[in-house]
Amino acid sequence: MNEQAVASRSESGSEDVGTAATPDRGFVRLLLGPTLIFLIVMVIFPLFYSLGVSFTDYTLGGSARFIGFRNYAELVTGGDLWVVSLITLRFTVIAVAIEMVLGILIAFALNQRLPGVGIARVIVFLPMMLAPLIVGYFWRFLLDQTFGLVNWSLGLIGIEPVAWFVVPRNAMAAIVLVDVWQWTPFVVLLTLAALGTIPHELREAATLDRAPAWMKFRQIYWPYMKFPVVLAFLFRTIDCLKMFDLAYVLTGGGPGDFTTTLSLLVYRYSFLFFKIGKASAISWILVIVIIIIVNILLGVLMPAQKPEEEAVSTGL
Amino acid sequence: MLKAAWTKIKQVLIFLSIVVIGLVFLLPLVWIVMSSFKTRVQNFALPPLVIFKPTLDNYIGLFKLQNPAFMGDFRNSFIIAVISTAISLVLASLTAYGFSRYEVKGGGCLFGWILSLRFFPVVAMAIPMYVLFRMVGLLDTHVALILVYCIFNISFAIWFLKGFFDEIPPSLEEAARLDGYSPFEVFYKVCLPLVRPGIITAAIFCLIQSVNEFLIALSLTARVAETAPVALAKLQTAVGPDWGKMCAASTVLMLPVLIFTILVRNELIRGMSFGRLK
Repeated sequence: MNEQAVASRSESGSEDVGTAATPDRGFVRLLLGPTLIFLIVMVIFPLFYSLGVSFTDYTLGGSARFIGFRNYAELVTGGDLWVVSLITLRFTVIAVAIEMVLGILIAFALNQRLPGVGIARVIVFLPMMLAPLIVGYFWRFLLDQTFGLVNWSLGLIGIEPVAWFVVPRNAMAAIVLVDVWQWTPFVVLLTLAALGTIPHELREAATLDRAPAWMKFRQIYWPYMKFPVVLAFLFRTIDCLKMFDLAYVLTGGGPGDFTTTLSLLVYRYSFLFFKIGKASAISWILVIVIIIIVNILLGVLMPAQKPEEEAVSTGL
Repeated sequence: MLKAAWTKIKQVLIFLSIVVIGLVFLLPLVWIVMSSFKTRVQNFALPPLVIFKPTLDNYIGLFKLQNPAFMGDFRNSFIIAVISTAISLVLASLTAYGFSRYEVKGGGCLFGWILSLRFFPVVAMAIPMYVLFRMVGLLDTHVALILVYCIFNISFAIWFLKGFFDEIPPSLEEAARLDGYSPFEVFYKVCLPLVRPGIITAAIFCLIQSVNEFLIALSLTARVAETAPVALAKLQTAVGPDWGKMCAASTVLMLPVLIFTILVRNELIRGMSFGRLK
């Protein structure tokens, strides 16, 4: 069963496509040219600029002096980069773990044929379409210590009002809570889409089959779910690592620096302290961290095949 | 007998959990919309008021504000999102088709690079973009935001649309070629209509992504091209802890996106399966 499923997947993949190509060089240039020119101009320049400026002491309005690796050295030996990296990492691990587990469970629940599932699906998709800024913004109201709906509801079951934005632990919990509320739906969406691609015969066989649930999951569902789930995991991890809007509007990085993410730190250095050089250095460190984590994840989650080939052969 | 009862119980339990899930995701939204129709005093009522006499004062007050000027900022958001989405989709559908159909030297690498733009931290982009646009005098203009949003939208749309083009059987194109279609006609008259669901979904995602974007808009605009999310962030300093107005602003910003989502709910799942789910 498993092999069949895999085979039918790769059949509809892209190996058999692309061979239809006859050499139409001019046409290919027309297809790819405009986009590439646009992206190269818009992306390569800023990239080199920010890399270059990260080796200077440039402050907005001042003049730039080349100082080699001093920005990086100061950051690595100083305290705040490590503290903030750790905060970002902790947030990412907790939020992504909760979102993945909840997301897959909810997707399975919403994949049942039950009354109300259609409406529930639409409702679940709403949060992820909203701007993180708006979501963070109105959750501050919901989480208000005295007048918020959340503390009031907790009061109904006998829990004392929580000081969400005063105690560091709670502030972190608040950010995780809101991120989970907004982005679990993304995991649900990808998982549901994957579950929808399982052929009907296979699904019917699954309901008749008396094999234990876990076996059914491994044999029937997982081959179809694997790539979308890995994809959701990857996207959520990266988005959490570079999270800005929510921290900016929900806690402002506080109390103290206890919920300051790397992106927020870069923003502060550049647009509040105007230390462009140092801000660029931090942002490059963030880029490198993301590249390393993406590669580790791809290596662990998609062994044996190169990530690009993998992405192509699944039609993603 | 026992088994049938167990199945029944299981169904009821799943149904109940679906109800709970729905409430958890829906209640916050409903509450914000409700609060936007309450007076300042009503919003500070304990226990929270469920039944009250709605007022439109928050909305009227909101649109009377001069700084941030919500009306103008809405228009800015709309113009920027639509133009950037249009440009992105034209370029991305060409490129996605190219990647799907032709072997290009280094194409895999190039494709990977375009995808990786999606992973690039926006904040790392904000500084050089600020400097770049200041240099060419485009700071605080619509053009600046349109250009930056095109980067992210193109990257997303290429990745998204390629799956749809891959699903078109090559035999269809060969037949069209035998009928004397030029390569461009094959693309424009045969393939493009077939991926229309994909293009519509991609367009909606690009629109929403552009309207929702905050960090770049915050860094690159001041007054003229300020977008709605930036206005929202400024609102608290402008009105103080006036939750009625803040909920009204959130509601106005959410509403178009919510309506859109409800309209395209089916395309959403189909789109995310990349043309696989027919």
